[in-house]
Amino acid sequence: MADRLDLGESAGGNDPLHVPVVEGYPMAALDTTLGRRLGAGFWVSVGWLVVIVTVAALAPWLPIADPNETGYGGRMDRPGWATWFGTDTNGRDMFSRTIWGARVSLTVGFVAIAAGLAIGGTLGLIAGYFRGTADRVISFAFFALLSFPGLVFALLIIAALGSSLKVVCMTLGVLSIAPVGRLARAATLVFAEREFVQASRVLGATHTRIMLRELLPNVLIPMSALALLGMAVTIVAEGALAYLGLSVSDGFSWGKMILLGSAPRTLRDGPWVVMFPIGAMFLTVLALNYAGDRLRQYLDVRELAF
Amino acid sequence: MRFLAHRLAALVAVLLAVTALAFGALNILGDPLFNVVGFIASVDCDAVLAGEIEDISGQTAGGRGDCEIVEAARKEHRLDRALPVRYTYWLGDIVRGDFGTSFKNEMPVRQVIAEKLPKTVLLMVVAEVMGVVISIPWAVAAAYRANRRFDRASTVTSFGMLAIPNFAMGIILFYFFVVRWQVFPSRFEDTDLFARLKSMVLPGLTLGLPLAATYQRLLRTDLITTLQEDFVQMARAKGMSDRWIMFRHVLRPSLFSLVTVFGLSTAGLIGGSLVVENIFSIPGLGRAVVEAVIRDDFPIVLGSVVVIATGFVVINFTVDVVYSFIDPRVRRDG
Amino acid sequence: MAVTDGSPLLSVSDLRVGFATERGLVRAVDGVSFDLAAGRTLGIVGESGSGKSVTAKTIMNLLPSYARVEGSVTFDGRDVRALASSGARHFWGVEMTMVFQDPMTSLNPVKKVGEQIAESLRVHLKRSRKEARDEAGDLLEQVGIPEPRKRLTQYPHELSGGLRQRVVIAMALACSPRLLIADEPTTALDVTVQKHILDLLDGLREERGMAMILITHDLGVVRGRADDIMVMYAGRTMEQADTDTLFSEMRHPYTEALLETIPRIDMPSHSRLVPIPGRPPDVIEVSTGCPFAPRCRSCTDVCLTERPTLDEQGHGHVCACHGPVGTDVGAMARSANEASGVTPAGLDMAAFGSAGVEAGDGS
Repeated sequence: MADRLDLGESAGGNDPLHVPVVEGYPMAALDTTLGRRLGAGFWVSVGWLVVIVTVAALAPWLPIADPNETGYGGRMDRPGWATWFGTDTNGRDMFSRTIWGARVSLTVGFVAIAAGLAIGGTLGLIAGYFRGTADRVISFAFFALLSFPGLVFALLIIAALGSSLKVVCMTLGVLSIAPVGRLARAATLVFAEREFVQASRVLGATHTRIMLRELLPNVLIPMSALALLGMAVTIVAEGALAYLGLSVSDGFSWGKMILLGSAPRTLRDGPWVVMFPIGAMFLTVLALNYAGDRLRQYLDVRELAF
Repeated sequence: MRFLAHRLAALVAVLLAVTALAFGALNILGDPLFNVVGFIASVDCDAVLAGEIEDISGQTAGGRGDCEIVEAARKEHRLDRALPVRYTYWLGDIVRGDFGTSFKNEMPVRQVIAEKLPKTVLLMVVAEVMGVVISIPWAVAAAYRANRRFDRASTVTSFGMLAIPNFAMGIILFYFFVVRWQVFPSRFEDTDLFARLKSMVLPGLTLGLPLAATYQRLLRTDLITTLQEDFVQMARAKGMSDRWIMFRHVLRPSLFSLVTVFGLSTAGLIGGSLVVENIFSIPGLGRAVVEAVIRDDFPIVLGSVVVIATGFVVINFTVDVVYSFIDPRVRRDG
Repeated sequence: MAVTDGSPLLSVSDLRVGFATERGLVRAVDGVSFDLAAGRTLGIVGESGSGKSVTAKTIMNLLPSYARVEGSVTFDGRDVRALASSGARHFWGVEMTMVFQDPMTSLNPVKKVGEQIAESLRVHLKRSRKEARDEAGDLLEQVGIPEPRKRLTQYPHELSGGLRQRVVIAMALACSPRLLIADEPTTALDVTVQKHILDLLDGLREERGMAMILITHDLGVVRGRADDIMVMYAGRTMEQADTDTLFSEMRHPYTEALLETIPRIDMPSHSRLVPIPGRPPDVIEVSTGCPFAPRCRSCTDVCLTERPTLDEQGHGHVCACHGPVGTDVGAMARSANEASGVTPAGLDMAAFGSAGVEAGDGS
């Protein structure tokens, strides 16, 4: 019997993910308890997301200023008691605008990733379940989509179709098909070999039934982490498009607010106009990233490629 | 060799798919005639030629001259043929270096790209160099005393850096270094190499810092994994110093995933350079393509997109091949 | 203590190594002492988790920073632990080196074999690139590698397991150390190669007058190779003697059990090998009695409550047992357990096959 588990750590020995293995005693129990906990940070992140989503959803009924009312405050008021986040060049209330801006940013993020999950998930499930030609075609399509720099692809679509909310959501949704689909395919490949799937196949279940009843619930679990991470990516992508002046011409998102606030003169006289939407976006993306990352570790998903 | 041939076949297939996607997107979603002649495509030429609409050539669109252009374009671009046929001819043109002509100033797209591309490439190179130069010592220091104060602080820092969208990072840097302290120029200065490089510092940093954060996290994990290898114990048993072990034994075998991500990160970098060029007014390809989209200058859009996507695919291919040379074990398996 | 022969080269005295974990302090080594004279071989034998590798790593200064070490380690009159904390250079790798268990992993996969051997020579002995390269070739020749010059430019994955272990040995020998610690040097190798490597180590030791510590779980490996043997269990010394004495007058039931786990030439080939029932203890639990008691067939009530001391059994032979093998106390304890069918620790005596009396009921 080999001494393979001898005390092997040196510098890495202090890493919490590498609990010391003392001669022949892997402290597996310790390791799993660490891995199987979401931790306080996860709940703080989820808390922030709940707050921002609630506030954004309830914006029309909240006792806040009309985000488009020019001259609500003075021109470029500093943040203070009257206007918490200050006002912009047109005297519009930045606090109200930050909340209203969340509506577009979050909607785009949510709709795009939902579309990605629906389409990519279905394709991935089909590829992983049927294998063979279907798999080869779908996998190549994913590969080709991933071979296109995302933002450039978005530019192309928007160049052709214009920049309405619908087009932006659709474009970003198409972009999330390939990463989602790859994970769905990988997960399906794993689960399709499991006994419960084999069993229902033997019992004569139809392909559709196996995919929907046996595989889908299992494949959805690792996807939840990807959905969070993907939503962060999508929100940033919308922001970038908006900053380039290519997103949602009807209405405004955080990205568009950042564009408006980043004109050199505005930046010089009133940096808060740009900093609050940046801050809101930063916290939201941070929360999505952190929660997604924790969830990924918790669920032990390895194949994430966003 | 078989490995290389296999990869090359895949490269060609992906290039075909990517160009088809770009061409198809513009021609299926958009109006193919508009794509080649611009707004005069909306002229009702049948009516003009039949004399039902007055010839107002020389003033705005809608003249007989415009209609001649439209007819010529129809013939030249074979707009009456099926899409796959048109794609084949278009691909032939592209391969020969003919990208069409810009609507704006009639400049050949090829010339526009040739003029803009070097700036974008310079930006990307500066960003990658910054990312690597910052991340390696950072990761080594963090991994050397894993989970101590410095390591924890850098984990938090890099996580935060990755949550800042690159345009936000650019604006923040722009605000402090250009608007407040006026250390760097507000637009690209093309006078000499030094001025060019100085103009590239902030844009490079905007793209390079998140890269460095990604690389640091990745490299740190790999370094810690490698540090637990038996050959590190062996090197210590041979009496090699910690610094020697870190740089001579541990660093290189830990670089594999960094090299892989180095290629993948180019994706974000290409998207990012689009944005950053616009923040710092760098006259690169990214700025050109965004302007073209806003002006509906489709030859420029399509040409730039094809060049960017091709570059992206080729970079990934190169990384794949280089990867197999760094790790002698991959080469053997082919 | 046991194995002195003039002034010892290496002297380990009351060594204790603990690791603070979230579950408590793990006592990996708990009061180990031994001396090793120049040119002699000490065999340290025990199962996984017995503390033998931690002992070796303490001597080699390879423990992680959170390990707590007490006791003294002296090499040629120098305090090894003081050398470690002062960051001494040119000591490890020059005076003493170590060969690890798995040659697949103890070589750097991305460095050529030649570079890996030459680096000690260049760092410690300040050889030029070319000198180091020539010497590396010589070393490969000494460890019996065919075409040594050609091997210098090869990567580890191009060599077989046996060749790799020879390369590791060549690396260890580069600066002509006075002490070589070999930690299970053959465990990961094919059975056919094992003997070659052990013989090579033995030959090199004799040729160079090195001292050697041979760590193994297999008493058969140290028999005939080690001058002295120390049997460890749960971080403690169970029995220690010179090799002949240990095999002829074995005292500890654990040593006896270890011996029964290896095939012997003097037994019929269909003899049953008796595995030791149970698992080594979790060293976090602070037991008051003998750590081996739960697995011991000679266990008595006192074994469960009182820790046995390391007692002299005659000229340098020490053993920590309340009822040693070959004594009246031990024989009585064992027959009492056989009669009742279960030991005081609750172990079913049937686990020892036919009560360990006559092995031979076939497979």
